[in-house]
Amino acid sequence: MRLAVLGAGAVGSRAARQLASTPGVRALTVADPDARLVASVCASLGPMATPSTSPEVDLAGHDVAVLAGPGKHHRAQAERALDAGVSVVSCTNELAPARQLLALDDEARVRGKTVAVGAGFAPGLSDLLAAHAGRLLDEVHEVHVARYGTGGPACARAHHASLRGLALDWRDGAWISRQGGSGRELAWFPDPVAGQDCYRASLPDALLFGPAFPGLQRATSRVAATRRDRLTAPLPMLRQPHPEGLVGAVRVEVRGRRGQSFETVVYGAVDRPGLAAGAVAAVVAVAAGTGLARPGAAGLAVLLPDPLPLLHELANRGIRCATFAGSA
Amino acid sequence: MIRLLRRASLAVGIMGLVAAVLRLRGTGGTPPQSGGWRELSGPDLR
Repeated sequence: MRLAVLGAGAVGSRAARQLASTPGVRALTVADPDARLVASVCASLGPMATPSTSPEVDLAGHDVAVLAGPGKHHRAQAERALDAGVSVVSCTNELAPARQLLALDDEARVRGKTVAVGAGFAPGLSDLLAAHAGRLLDEVHEVHVARYGTGGPACARAHHASLRGLALDWRDGAWISRQGGSGRELAWFPDPVAGQDCYRASLPDALLFGPAFPGLQRATSRVAATRRDRLTAPLPMLRQPHPEGLVGAVRVEVRGRRGQSFETVVYGAVDRPGLAAGAVAAVVAVAAGTGLARPGAAGLAVLLPDPLPLLHELANRGIRCATFAGSA
Repeated sequence: MIRLLRRASLAVGIMGLVAAVLRLRGTGGTPPQSGGWRELSGPDLR
């Protein structure tokens, strides 16, 4: 398999390293406008990696392109990839790029290629956990996702912007827009993150869950934020984002019917968001390259209806998930 | 001097108002009353 990773930041470099250690991956093209960064990443990967600083790297001959750069370029990059007959795995966690990528569904189906939207920590790992929880229920009525922490600087900027945008919730068959930064809820993540105040934000998660669960009544997504985050959200970022966030967490709560009773399944994970996102992008890219993922443009819960092989693979790569047992 | 004091008290008042609004917005929640997290393992991943 020959893959291209576009973007060599916190997520792209991790995805490239994960792919380089995957059996069956013969060659990697790593592209980023920062020549020093891409050179150092390729040097750590050995002779299988080819660096590129071109904004329009030639994708012909590749099997899958992993889009790990700024989300605003993902639509154009995905179109170029589909034109070259290459499947796409986008790590975006922003609403607008996700929406633009989902619009490629018809084209991807016609070409028989996969455009995986949101293959990171959340969305990404959260979709795999929601799909797994959904398999335990006869009907899924509600999916609620919360996440804590950020990966690299681009992720921190997206977090900042998401709190000033409009959040999109699915409720009773209709989309509802609410102001980002509103709707505080205490979400309980696995230790050591534990309880965090989470708020609505401009996130793509609810958009990705709808097609995965027919009959879904409610889907929401929230992000942990401090009061300073919410107060300064309308302003430009007051200081440079950190190179890499510390520990992050994701929590997925799925409610529905099993037999005659209504049940709630809660899954979570704690890891460095950039690291986990890179691992998720890598295993999804391998799934897309080996034909495990369905053709079309959608979230992971739609493209990979059986998430178990991927969750096993992620566990082998050190991404551990947890379940909440008790009254949530 | 009095103008300075007025401005300072106005600034403190506005800050208090903003803090109160931020504090009171949202409904909050309660932590889980029982149970806890455990790692997904064998039977959970079948």
